[in-house]
This record gives sequence, C-alpha cells and structure tokens, in this order.
Amino acid sequence: MNTSNEKSVKSNTARPVENIRLGGHRSRSPQNIEKPKELRRTLKRLLKFLEKRTFFLLILVMVIVTGCSLITPSLQKSAIDSVSFSEETGFGVDLEQLGVMVMWLIVTYIMQALFTYFQGILSAKLSASTVLRLRKDLFNKIVRLTVSYTDNHSHGDIMFRMTGDVENISNAVSVSVGSLITGLLTIIGTNVIMVYYSPMLTLISVMSILLTVIISTKLNKVMRKYFVKQQELNGILSGHIEETVTAYKTVTAYNLHQNAEDKFNKTNAKIKRNGFRAQMLVGVMGPCLNFVSNFGFLSVAVFGAVFALNGSITVGTIQAFLMYSKQFSRPVNEIANQIAVIQTAAAGAERVFEILDAKNEDEIEDFNPNLELTVELTKGKLDFRDVRFSYIEGREVLKGFSASIKAGQKIAVVGATGSGKTTVINLLTRFYSPDSGVIEIDGIPIENYPKDELRKALGEVLQDTFLFSDTIGKNIRYGDFEADDEAVRAAINESACDRFIEALPGGEDFMLSEGGENLSAGQRQLLAIARVVLKNPKILILDEATSNVDTRTEMHITAAMQKLMKNRTTLIIAHRLSTIRGADNILVISGGRVVEQGNHDDLIRQGGEYFKLYKTQFEGRET
Amino acid sequence: MHVSYVNELSIKISSEKLLTMKKLLPHLKQYRLFVILAPIFMLGEVIGDLSVPKLMSGIIDNGVIAGNMNVIIENGLLMLLCAALGGLFGVLCCAAASYVVQGFAADLRADMYKRIIHLSFEQTDSFTTGSLITRMSSDINQLKQFIEMSLRGFIRSVMLFFGGIIMLISLDTRFGVVALAALPIEAVIMIIALKKAFPLYKAVQVKLDNVNEIVSENINGARTIKSFVREDYEEARFETANEDLTDKNYRVLSLLAKMNPLLHIVMSLSVALIILIGGYSITPDAEFGVGEIMAAVTYITQILHSMMMMANMFQTVSRANASAMRINEIFDIEPAIIGGEITAKNLTEGSVRFENVRFSYPGSGAETLKGISLTIKPGEHFAILGATGSGKSTFASLIPRFYDTTGGNIYVNRIDTRDYTLEALRDKIGIVMQKTELFSISVADNISHGKPGASMDEIITAAAAAQADEFISLMENGYETVIAEKGFSMSGGQKQRISIARAIIKKPEILIFDDSTSALDLATEKRLSEAIKEHCQGTTVIKVAQRINSIIHCDRIAVIDNGMIDSIGTHEELMLNSEIYREIYNSQNRVPAADEKEVSFDEYLEREIG
Repeated sequence: MNTSNEKSVKSNTARPVENIRLGGHRSRSPQNIEKPKELRRTLKRLLKFLEKRTFFLLILVMVIVTGCSLITPSLQKSAIDSVSFSEETGFGVDLEQLGVMVMWLIVTYIMQALFTYFQGILSAKLSASTVLRLRKDLFNKIVRLTVSYTDNHSHGDIMFRMTGDVENISNAVSVSVGSLITGLLTIIGTNVIMVYYSPMLTLISVMSILLTVIISTKLNKVMRKYFVKQQELNGILSGHIEETVTAYKTVTAYNLHQNAEDKFNKTNAKIKRNGFRAQMLVGVMGPCLNFVSNFGFLSVAVFGAVFALNGSITVGTIQAFLMYSKQFSRPVNEIANQIAVIQTAAAGAERVFEILDAKNEDEIEDFNPNLELTVELTKGKLDFRDVRFSYIEGREVLKGFSASIKAGQKIAVVGATGSGKTTVINLLTRFYSPDSGVIEIDGIPIENYPKDELRKALGEVLQDTFLFSDTIGKNIRYGDFEADDEAVRAAINESACDRFIEALPGGEDFMLSEGGENLSAGQRQLLAIARVVLKNPKILILDEATSNVDTRTEMHITAAMQKLMKNRTTLIIAHRLSTIRGADNILVISGGRVVEQGNHDDLIRQGGEYFKLYKTQFEGRET
Repeated sequence: MHVSYVNELSIKISSEKLLTMKKLLPHLKQYRLFVILAPIFMLGEVIGDLSVPKLMSGIIDNGVIAGNMNVIIENGLLMLLCAALGGLFGVLCCAAASYVVQGFAADLRADMYKRIIHLSFEQTDSFTTGSLITRMSSDINQLKQFIEMSLRGFIRSVMLFFGGIIMLISLDTRFGVVALAALPIEAVIMIIALKKAFPLYKAVQVKLDNVNEIVSENINGARTIKSFVREDYEEARFETANEDLTDKNYRVLSLLAKMNPLLHIVMSLSVALIILIGGYSITPDAEFGVGEIMAAVTYITQILHSMMMMANMFQTVSRANASAMRINEIFDIEPAIIGGEITAKNLTEGSVRFENVRFSYPGSGAETLKGISLTIKPGEHFAILGATGSGKSTFASLIPRFYDTTGGNIYVNRIDTRDYTLEALRDKIGIVMQKTELFSISVADNISHGKPGASMDEIITAAAAAQADEFISLMENGYETVIAEKGFSMSGGQKQRISIARAIIKKPEILIFDDSTSALDLATEKRLSEAIKEHCQGTTVIKVAQRINSIIHCDRIAVIDNGMIDSIGTHEELMLNSEIYREIYNSQNRVPAADEKEVSFDEYLEREIG
C-alpha cells in the first residue's frame, strides 16, 4: 500500500509503471502462499457471499461422486476375482459373475459421470453467483469511496483486488473447496475399505504415500527460498530496465550503454544461476514422486502377491489396492495445494473486505444537509474563513486561508508549486474536509448543502483531464445526460471543439482510447471544457495547463475558457500572465494562506511575494 | 478444471505461427547437446514407467497364479530397478532441460536488452516502458515454460501415449482395438468442446476487459465522476458489464462440466470392456492370464491420460507463440542510427556547422526544422532563442545524433557527424537535457557518469561550478545520498544542477544546455555562466532557451521561429535588427504600469537586487 506523502502530486502522475506482471507475481503456486491474518473470521464472512442452497446441494452431490469412485475399485476386484484361478477349484472362471460385475461397474461409471456433471454445474453456479455479488459490492463501494482513499492507495493495488483477488476467491470457491471436501472423503473412504480388505497391505501403501508427502514438503520448503530470491532478482532487473529506458537520453548522451549492459548482465547471470537451482528443485520433484509412487505400486504388487500366495487375499484385492492407493495418494498430494489456494484466496478476501469496510463519502462525517438547498438557488458567492487543512497530521498545507469572492467575480490564484492551490479546490468540492474553518457558498457552509447538489453547482477543468474510453459525444454528454443534440452542438461550438472534432473520423462518434490517449493534451482539455459548458455550473474552477500544448490550441483553450467564465464565479489557478491580468482579483498564496491580493499592477508595485513569483515563474514564459 | 484450460487455445497451428518461433531457434543452438539429451533421458524414464505394470502382470500370472515365489521376488527386484532407473533418468532429463531453459532465457534477455539500449529515440519512443519490461519478463517466461514443456512434459506424454499403445497391443491385439476405438471418440469430444470453448473464452476476455476498464476508469477518474455526480450511473454501467462477464464465465464452466464426465465415461467404459474381453479370453491352458488384464487396465488409463495432457499443452503453444511474436518485434528493428568509422580523438576544436538542415519527426508530416544553416565557432558561447514549438530543442538533439536529419548535414570539427563512431561523437558533447534524468544511485555516482572513474575532488569541483555543491553538502549523507525514485525528493532546480554537474565534469568540447536552466533564478544562473567560463575554458557552449535574460550575455544569439532562423547576432544587434527578438524582449522584460508609464524590468531588478 502506498501511503505516499506526496499528496500534492496528483496520483495520476506519480503512479509507477503498472500493468507489469512479473513472473509468478501473486500466483497461485504453492511457492507463494499468502497467509491471511484471521483465517476463521474471513472464511466465515466469505461464507455469507455463498448461495446457501447451491452450496449444500453441491456438498451432497460431491458425497455421491466420491461414493461412486470408492465403489468402482471394489467392483473391479470382484470382476477380476471372478476370472482368477483359485487353489481349491482349479479353474475358477465364473463368466456369469463377471458379466454381473461388469454391468454394475458400468452402472456406477454412468452414475459417477452424471453426478460429476451436476457437480460441475453447481460449482460453476456457485462461483458465478459469489463472484457476481462480491464484484458488485466491491464496485459499489469503490464508486462511493472518498477521494482521499483513492489518493492514498495505489490504483494498481485497488485494481488487483477487483481482478486478481476476486479471481482467486472464485477459484477457491469453484475448485478448491470442492477438491478439499472430496479429498477428505476419499482419504477416509479408501482407508476404511483398504483396512477392511487387508490391514497389512494398507500399512504398506499408506507408508509409501506418507513418504511422498514428506519429500514434497521438504522440497517445497527449500524451493520457496529460491522463489523468493527469484522474485527479488526479477524486481531488480525490471527496475534496471525501467530506469535505463526512462533515462534513455542520458544513457545515450553519456555513452553509458556498456555500463548499463554490464549491470544488467550481472543481475541476469544471478537470475540464471538461481533460476537453474529453483527449476531443478521443481523438476526433480516430478521424477522423485514418480519413483516413490512406482515404489509404492511395486510394494503393493510384491507384498500383495506374497499375501495372495499364502491365500490371505485374492488377486482382485491386489488390483483393488493398486487403484485405492492411487485414489488415496492424489488427494493427499493435492491437499497442501488446495489449502494454499484457499489461504491465498482468504488473504485476497481480507484485502477485498478492507475496501468494503472503508468508509463511504457519506459515512465519513455526519452532517445534516439541508435538503432544500439545491443548485438552482446558488448564486455563487464564496467565502473561506480561516481554513486550516493537513493531509498528514502535523503537516498543515493550509494555515488559516481566508478569502472572499463575490458572485460573478473572476479570481486568479497564484503561488509556487506546493503552496496549497490545489488543496483549496479539494476542499471546495468536498473531496476533503477542512480541519477547521468555514467554507461558505452564498453565506451557507458547504456542509449544509447536500453533497450532490453542491457538486452540481461546481464545474472543474483541471490540468489532467479525465476522459472515458467512449465516443466523443458520450464524453461531452457526461456533463448532462438529458441534453439534446442541439445543446451538445452548442457546447462543442462554444468550447472551440468543433474544428478538431470535425477533422476526426466519425466526428462525435470517434472512439477515445483509454484515457483519451488518442487525442492531444490540448484536445482533451477542450473536450473537458465542452463537458463543463454542458453542465452549466454556477461556480467554475479552472486550472490552466501550461505544458505540451501548441500555441494555436492554447489560444483556443484560452478563448474557450474566457467564454465559459462569463457570468460565473470563477476560481482560476493561473499560469498565464494574460489570465492573471484579466482577473478581478489576484490571490497570492504562500505558505498556506493568502499573503497578498489585488490587481497585477498594484502587486508588482508592492514588490512582494507576487513580484518574486512573477520573476521566477512568469517572465520568459510569455512569448 | 480451470478456465484457463481453454485459454487462447487453438488447435490449428499455422505454418506462419511456427515460423515466429523458429526465428528464436538460433538462441537454442548453443545448448543443442542438451536439447538432444533431454528427450533421451526422458525415454529412459518412460521405459521405466512402462515396464512396471508389465512386470506386475508377470508377478500375478507366473507368481501368484502359478504359485512361484521366486518369480515374485525376481520381478519385484526388477520393478525396483526399473523404478530407480526411471527416477534417475527423470532427474537427468530435468537437469538437461533446466540448463537449456535458464541459459536460453538469460541469453535472450541479454540480447534483447542490448538491442533495446542501442535503438534510436524514435524507435524506443514507439514502445512504452511497461511493454518493454513485460516483453523481457513475462514473455520470456512464457517461452521458458514452452521449452521446458517441449523438452519434458510433451515428450513424456507422447512417449507414454505410443508406448502404452504398443504395450497394450503386445498384451493382446483386441486390447489395442479397444484403445484405438476409444481414442477417436475422446479426441472428437475434446475437439468439439474446445471449438465451442474457444469463441466463448474470447468473449470472456472481452467482457473481462470491459469490467476492468470500468473499474480502472472509476478509480482514476474518481474526481471527475464525483464532480459530475455520476455514481449511480457508473453503478448501473458496471452492473451490466459484471452480469455479462459472469454469464460468459458460467457458460465456459458449464461447458467444461459437460466435457469432463464425457471424457471420463469413455475411459471407464474402455476399462470395463477390457475386463470383459480379458475375462472371456481366459482359458486354463492359455498363456493369457488375469495379470494381463490388470496390466491392460493400467495401460489404457495411462494412454488416455497422456492424451488429455497433450491437449492441455496446446494452450502453452499458442501463448508462447504470441510471446515469441512480441519478442521478435524487438529483434526485427534494426538500429536506425549507425555510427561511422572516425574517432578523431585529437581533433578537439569544438566547432559546429549546420548546412541546410531539415528535420521532421517520424509520422508527423510537418517539418520542425526547415533548412537551418549556421556555424558555431570554437569556444563560442552561442544561444538559440525561440518560443515553444519553434524547433529549438530539436536543434540540440540533432548534434549528438539523437535523431538523424531528414535533409542537410551537420559537422562537428569540420567532420560530418555521421562519419564519427557514435561513441566518439557523443564523447565530444556534454548535453544537459530539458527533462532531467537521474539514476537511483548516489549523487556522486550520478555526477561521475559524466566521467567514469572521476575522483571525489573532481566531482566536488564540478558540483561547485554547477552551483550544486552547497545544497548537496547540506543533505544528510552529502554526496553519498542516494537519489530516490527518480529524484522525487529533490526540487526541479536541484535536479537540474546535478545534471549540469554531470555534463561539466566531462569537460566536453561542446556543452549543450537544452533549456535546462529554467528552474534556476537569474542570480544563480549568472553565477553558473561565470563558473562554466572558468571551469571549461575553450569549450563551445550552446544554450537553448526561451528566457531572454539567461542568454543575454552570449557571444551570439540565433532567433529561431517556425523552424527557420530569423536572425543571428549579439543582443545589441538583434535589438536593432530583429523584430521578433525585440518582441520577445519586450514581452518578457517590460511591465506595463497602470498609469501607462512603462517601466523596464531592469529597473525593477535594480531596485530589488541592487
């Protein structure tokens, strides 16, 4: 979890490279068992997500399937016994008996197949319904979480809970729980039957199986060490690749290729060595277990033969034993794996529950909003009175911020990076709540407004525009779903989007790729303006972009913003001299409070903070 | 069985696909001995496995039934030997395969890395960092799995399959007939199920992407969604996607639920048939005994199992193939910028000449530089001034051949830059980039990247000249402070100064500042200029800037506008002759007062700084 203290850095920009799945990352292999903190409680809670009836039906069906699989070797034994020679009768082939037994065998097989089918359907149903509910609950939570939650948690991590963790839970429900139950039933059943046929032979086959278990746990333990190391090395290598690729210009300019390659090769060689050892251990497991199982097979065969020779068991019993010991050994070997899967799923479930337990925006503070306050009533007068706020306790970002803005005024907010400009917006939109102090709209504290109404009254165009991977038209309509085509077209024209939209194939129907990456930064911002035009808010919050926009688009953006500001209270985080000059009032923020205000000329003449800021920030930018 | 059973499975492997993998075969060449040995060892293991049931049938028929204890012990010992030899060969096969796989992967990674770091900018620009890392980690892992599977699992299954059939026929031809009858039925069931599953699985993938996209949008766009009060709408949108996905997933699972019992019943019926046929064939005098029935039951189970295993492996093939394609994409790119032969180590005057240089970024169409010609004299302090998008940064990138011109020539020390080896050319140049790139190593190591093996004294001197010594010394561990997370802990100005120190320590013939003093205040910048003059005597300095005050003292200034040179001259000359220069100067330095009395910025400066 990423509790970065770089709050002012927008989480979008500071996000590390995502979508990288290193080999074996959180995989379900037994080498990577995650231990849940409170297994019992988590499982109990998870159980609530299961459909009770399906679950119990599933268990019933599994009991039948296991029963069938337990009977078949006995039937095979009887079939074989019916054609075996026996000492007393000489030639003891009983074809009638054989026919009956084979018939029963076929009946059991069909039963087993039928119920296996039911089992499959039921477990598919169970996992589908569980995952559906889990995902739905989780998403409904995510949508309503506070912004501070998403700011403080790595987005990749939240995504993983929604995808990987839920997937793991689904696997555990649909596969592992079933395997565990049938496994246990099989172990008990086979043992009972084997002891019934021959206690001595049971001892022999159980011993060989225990040997398998011991070997595999021992190997697993050693293996785990290597896998942890492998993960670590892979991480180092990826980090190195990332660094050289992002600092590629420097690598090239300073001829650091050889240096980078040497460093890479060192880690690469380590990975090769460690990987060989790890893989050897995994690989050796197969032949070793194979040997042990062959050994078990032959012990049963040899000792069974000896027992058969002295008449204590029949030949069919040997066959039955060979089958039972195989049936018995499979779940024994699998149980460890299945438990690991369930543990991993439980750990995932804990992470999922952690989100489910996080507070909703509505739950975080219990204000009593006055439900009669609606957007239509707001005029747009803004007051900040002695607002204090800190993202992290003890590190105040706003230290008594006070400002008064008349309805319809245009206010430019200027200040160095980190001075608290963005925080003012975060508080006004109630993404965060101030530690102390009051923010008022039309003389009423913003907490008194229903949250939704408050946000409907505000419109923001921020630096990094968020767009949906949908058509351009749909993205603009996000501002107002009820808007008719005419209103949308008007919004497009007013925001100067018309030119570039017309040039795109399909125009309004042009599909945006993820995050709107197939548009330029300037075009994205124009779309965001169009969206806000359609929303038609009373109060406008603008954050001027300065980078990556060509001069012409910048002109369009400025013009569109000018139009948008007409007759609206506007708070602009300003970067452009022209905007600042055109503002009714300039608020200079430094150290979390307003240190100066007034118009450009006055402030320059004062030669204070603004003048200093002007010197380092603005002069030189304006060309 | 898990959903991924059908994941990306395609039964047909076109010849074209195989070709993709073939391209990577040369990387295996070095290990060919072990590539051959692994299957041979595996053969040993399989023979061991196959002999055990046969020997067992001997125990039953010649031992138990015939009442011969010696045969039981003899065969028992033989079985032990077979099992032990099988195990030994298994371990050997594993060692051979592991050696091949790890070696192959390491070689491939190294080759890929080498290729990547020698590509030119426009080539690396076309890949994201994430995609490069994925290619080098998970794609190579896919290939590793594929090779290991081919050398071990696949060969084992094939051998068990055919070996089992041979053993079965050797027991009784009719058993062979049972197997040959069962096999096509199993195959048909599998093919039909997989054919149905394949499109279903694709649909699942699409729905899954859909769900992921909505979730990701709701996390990354939380602010947007909340400010438009669209929580309910998003919830409804997700619900549809979630239900779609669940439905498709359920269909895949229920398809598998049908397929598995069908496969099993065919297998079970063949076992029953073998028992029945075997039972009816037993005659008191014949050489055919009950032990053989038992062996036959084991073999047929083995055969059908190995067939299912093989079907399972197809998915690895198609996944590995997709990975191989992604890896080949990198190997298929030939480095676009290749150096010449000349090193010209002794020619160190530091002149630069542009001769009608044209440039356009690939795919952009529009020309960024439209015929630039100018000469920068040795030791000169030369400035390029222009607005954003005027082409001035491009100008700087062309000298060390980060990109190649699309027309015209650039000469360094009167030699065409394309005739130098890339190392020699770049050794002559120290460039400070617009976007600072530092490595997560100590400050000292970062600086000494400019001059490998530099002494601490040299590092401190360079840092002092770059106006960085002061703040570095104030840091907790001074020069040994490790720069965290690409320098997030430092201010832009501090990072800039460290990268300036890195260029200065190199004492290059040509020092280029690509708009890289923007975060410094004017006073610091002035001190920096003086320190450079002192520290790098005789070095040609090229400064690209948009702030006039940072270049006002340069020997000559070239004004670039719209990809062309507007004019060249000293500050005074340009103030007289260049309208663009005057405009820029006025917009930056003139502060119009309310009373219309124009006060120059210099006056303010005087008042402020004195």
